[in-house]
Amino acid sequence: MCKKLVQMMQGKIWMSTNSQGYIQSTSLVLRFQIQQTFNRPMFDLTNFIDQPKSNSIFRGLQVILADDDGVNRMVTKKLLEKLGCQVTTVSSGFECLSSLGPTMSPFHVVILDLHMPEMDGFEVATRIRKFRSRNRPLIIALTASAEEQVWERCLQVGMNGVIRKPVLLRGLEIELRTVLQRAGERLSS
Amino acid sequence: MERNQMHRQIANTRKLMFDQGYLDEQFIQLEELQDGSNPNFVEEVVTLYYRDSARFLSNLDQALEKRPLDFSKLDNLMHQFKGSSTSIGAKKVKTECTHFRNYCNARNAEGCKRTFQNVKKEYTTLRKKLEAYFQMSRQVGPVETAYASSVVVCTIRYDTIHSLHLNIIHSNLPLRRCAARSH
Repeated sequence: MCKKLVQMMQGKIWMSTNSQGYIQSTSLVLRFQIQQTFNRPMFDLTNFIDQPKSNSIFRGLQVILADDDGVNRMVTKKLLEKLGCQVTTVSSGFECLSSLGPTMSPFHVVILDLHMPEMDGFEVATRIRKFRSRNRPLIIALTASAEEQVWERCLQVGMNGVIRKPVLLRGLEIELRTVLQRAGERLSS
Repeated sequence: MERNQMHRQIANTRKLMFDQGYLDEQFIQLEELQDGSNPNFVEEVVTLYYRDSARFLSNLDQALEKRPLDFSKLDNLMHQFKGSSTSIGAKKVKTECTHFRNYCNARNAEGCKRTFQNVKKEYTTLRKKLEAYFQMSRQVGPVETAYASSVVVCTIRYDTIHSLHLNIIHSNLPLRRCAARSH
């Protein structure tokens, strides 16, 4: 049976006996396919080592991402998933609000592009904060602007953080972590 | 050997796009997001970009035909197009977009029209380069699933009927230490 298995794996198996005819050892030759990890360049391995640390606090985090641009949605979603988040994407402020609903929202974090047509991020945030539900999601803005007035306005409408576009993994991770930690501190105070 | 040559050619083509300023670190981020579960992520994002942005460019073309020019609308359209161009690391395209927006702010119609031609030129040039690059990459297959076989020769000693020890006596590749026990 072993012989058959090994032959199926394209290997060879044979027994060697000692002088008294008792089986002393079995030799086995097998071919293995190299796993992906061996082929990844160095920087990927470092990412892999960092991952357990960065993924653990985000694992299971329910995020809703609202961005009208398809390319940005695709990239930001992947970045969030790489951090361990569960991501739902919507392409407008209206969709975002209907996904959150007036009652308990299942989402922990709302990531909003400020510059959306029809209803911008500020409007969406203002409406979210009007919900009388006890579960207030954390709101993080996405903007290409570095202007302080923009960032101040974000805080005024009740947002918890701002991420500058173009979104980089590190920037996303740091802001998410900061926002979550601050929220945790508020709860425990 | 031919395979190695192809890999080197692909790597050189890629490096040239960076060296010549067509791509920046955002593209590297896309590559870093590509893995076994998304082996074609980069190409998918780039394909989506070229598909979606065609609409922006045609809207911009139309808006530039109107008299008088609505600079605010032009700026708005360009802002969106610049955003997704930035996301894929289209460096030269991004630069021309910035020039365009500067001309919009200065309400310079001629500047806008001239720069828009440059935007389209860089956009098309990059597209050709990326298409060629992806085609080459597809020919050799994704690097991550390329495999070599490792030959492992080991002896299995029967010490007791309760455990089996695997002694690896030869391998043509470095292997990580791992224990193999069977009950």
